[in-house]
Amino acid sequence: MSYIDVDRVSKSFGTRVAINQLSLHIEKSERLVLFGPSGCGKTTVLRLLAGLEFPEQGSIRIDGRIVANAGKNLVPPEKRDLGMVFQDLALWPHMTVQQNLMFGLNARRVQKREAEARVREMLQRVGLEHRIDAKPHQLSGGEQQRVALARALVSRPSILLMDEPLSSLDDERKRAIAFDLLDLHSQFRFTLIYVTHDQTETDLLASRVCRMRDVQPAA
Amino acid sequence: MGRPVKAETVVLWLCVALVAVAGLVPIAAIAVESFRYNGHFSLNYYRELISAARFWPLLGNSIRLAMATTAVCGLIGVPAGILFAKSDLPLRSGFMWLLTVPFVLPPYFVALGWTRVVARIGQGASDLLFGFGGCVLVLSSVFLPITMLLTFASSSNVDRRLEEAARLVSGWPGVLRRVTLPLSAPGIAFSLVLVFLLAMGELSVPSFLRYPVLPVLSFTQFTASYNFGAATAAAVPLAAIAFIGVLVESVFLRDRDYRFRSTGQTLSISLQHWKSLSAVVIATLCFALVILPLSALFADAFSLAAMHEAMQRAGASVVRSVMYSAVAATILMALGFLLGDVMLSRPREQRIVNLLTLALFAIPGTVLSIGLVRLWNTPSTWFIYATPALLILGYTAQYCAVTTRLSLAGLMLIPISLDEAGRLNGAMWARRLFRISIPLSARTLVCAWLAAYILCLRDVPIALMTAPPGADPLSARILTLMANGAPPMIASLCLIMAIASLIPLAILTRVIPSRGMAR
Repeated sequence: MSYIDVDRVSKSFGTRVAINQLSLHIEKSERLVLFGPSGCGKTTVLRLLAGLEFPEQGSIRIDGRIVANAGKNLVPPEKRDLGMVFQDLALWPHMTVQQNLMFGLNARRVQKREAEARVREMLQRVGLEHRIDAKPHQLSGGEQQRVALARALVSRPSILLMDEPLSSLDDERKRAIAFDLLDLHSQFRFTLIYVTHDQTETDLLASRVCRMRDVQPAA
Repeated sequence: MGRPVKAETVVLWLCVALVAVAGLVPIAAIAVESFRYNGHFSLNYYRELISAARFWPLLGNSIRLAMATTAVCGLIGVPAGILFAKSDLPLRSGFMWLLTVPFVLPPYFVALGWTRVVARIGQGASDLLFGFGGCVLVLSSVFLPITMLLTFASSSNVDRRLEEAARLVSGWPGVLRRVTLPLSAPGIAFSLVLVFLLAMGELSVPSFLRYPVLPVLSFTQFTASYNFGAATAAAVPLAAIAFIGVLVESVFLRDRDYRFRSTGQTLSISLQHWKSLSAVVIATLCFALVILPLSALFADAFSLAAMHEAMQRAGASVVRSVMYSAVAATILMALGFLLGDVMLSRPREQRIVNLLTLALFAIPGTVLSIGLVRLWNTPSTWFIYATPALLILGYTAQYCAVTTRLSLAGLMLIPISLDEAGRLNGAMWARRLFRISIPLSARTLVCAWLAAYILCLRDVPIALMTAPPGADPLSARILTLMANGAPPMIASLCLIMAIASLIPLAILTRVIPSRGMAR
């Protein structure tokens, strides 16, 4: 049994089949890149793992526990111990950088003092401790990417899901953040599932690549 | 040589001029009037007003009533709006439109319905209804849809990605408290300010339920004593409160205006075992606030004799109501759309026009009507004063905010690149308006027309005070017939009025697209 098992999962949106009988096995601390063209169902896989969608058929198991099975999410998203960086980052515009990072820690009832220390440490790791009181719209594109990454990792999840987070950056910034991500991975040893259609990102980040075509994966 | 003036600039200022003539100038006229006594500048009316024994209690009553109504609407409307927007509550769409019904009818309909209910219960209930408690109950039923629908719209527009990001680390209560509600706060705050101002200026319900408030004083000074100075002095505090309220709301919104990319879908909270209980609570609310009073009101309406008498005594008013409302709605739709289109790329003008139109929407109809009568009641402007044109002007000023905002919201959904492509192809503004914006905004235009039609049809104070003699619309006619008309005949008239209002509402429910839901 792998750390994450996706077993013959299918998902449709109306008449459009996004995923058909997908099976996928991911080991702990692996850096898996889901690579493929737009519309092949990569993002849907992430959303199913996160619990933001439910599979119509098949099951998903994380760390030996069935989290979704045959049309039902058995474990809600917040109980799956994962972080996610969205394609559009989804930073909360009404909160400062610190509040964005504190949200998850507060929800998990981490002591205030410890939470603040973890936020500072994480911001230091991504080089943004001086932007702690800024709001998202006051940050540059690269800084926003780093905040989104920090927010996803500050609660130290076992799994990090990333949905084409670097697609809007130039090559130089893309490389810088990818190297930061590798550093963070070597420190926290989370399982990384990274969605992209960019070969450079794939080469930089993958320890294994799952190539998806149409609605069927060809690993 | 000077820079040529653009067509859209001319149109913008013509539209603003029309709104100003219809609303601002009358308000300015009464403000000036209130400072004139025997042809000289004087604070006499204000001195008299402030020293009058009943002014302060009336002002206090108005504020108390407005605050209580706002609190009830907030406590019920916000959770209901969130529930309808974000949950898998069964029949939520039906519940929402049912709760909206009291808003599309003249406010005194619900009061009249409750009098029928308490007449069957007994004297004790009647004592409770006539007074502060009854007014709060009725006005809360009438204005609840404002809070509910604006909360629904604001929370539906929150980008689902922001909620999903929160959902990964928190349960739904945390997501709602920390993300959805703060991001919907501008819309919710706007709805509460609006309810406060509308309740503050409400005339028909407090006068019917015998709760003395400031608009009633202004109205009686105007109609009973025909004392313009005293009526305007009593109206100015109401106008000032409306302007201050709108200004505060505008400043509050300026710092918290979050623009979202519409994803066309909203997250859905699975209520699971709470589903049945929530449905029962909402159904009880619908029964208590809508079905009970309105069914009591319409219970006597279905006799042929009553219908016949109703049509005999007010048949012409029915036709007039529909006609006036249709004409005003057409003007309002065109005005709102033109203003919306021109303001789309002009944020500064947009802010000014929004503030102006919103202030006119919030100003009590009694105040606006007194201003209109004062301004146009001269021999040279008799052709406006003695015709329905005055009524149409009043409707235009009062409800322009609604069609402008609806049009702006609809136009913002059209990609700007479509207009830019037209411009690059050499099309001037008017051509782009008729060939691109209007064809792509059919749904927006229909919504704006229907909303304006409903608002004009249900209006009471403007209809009551500005309609030419013998040509009053139905909402005013029923109110005057209520004093001496037989209850079944009144019930029949109310039913006719309700049908005239509810048909457009039914069309509106079909035109407004239902939102996609994602779990």
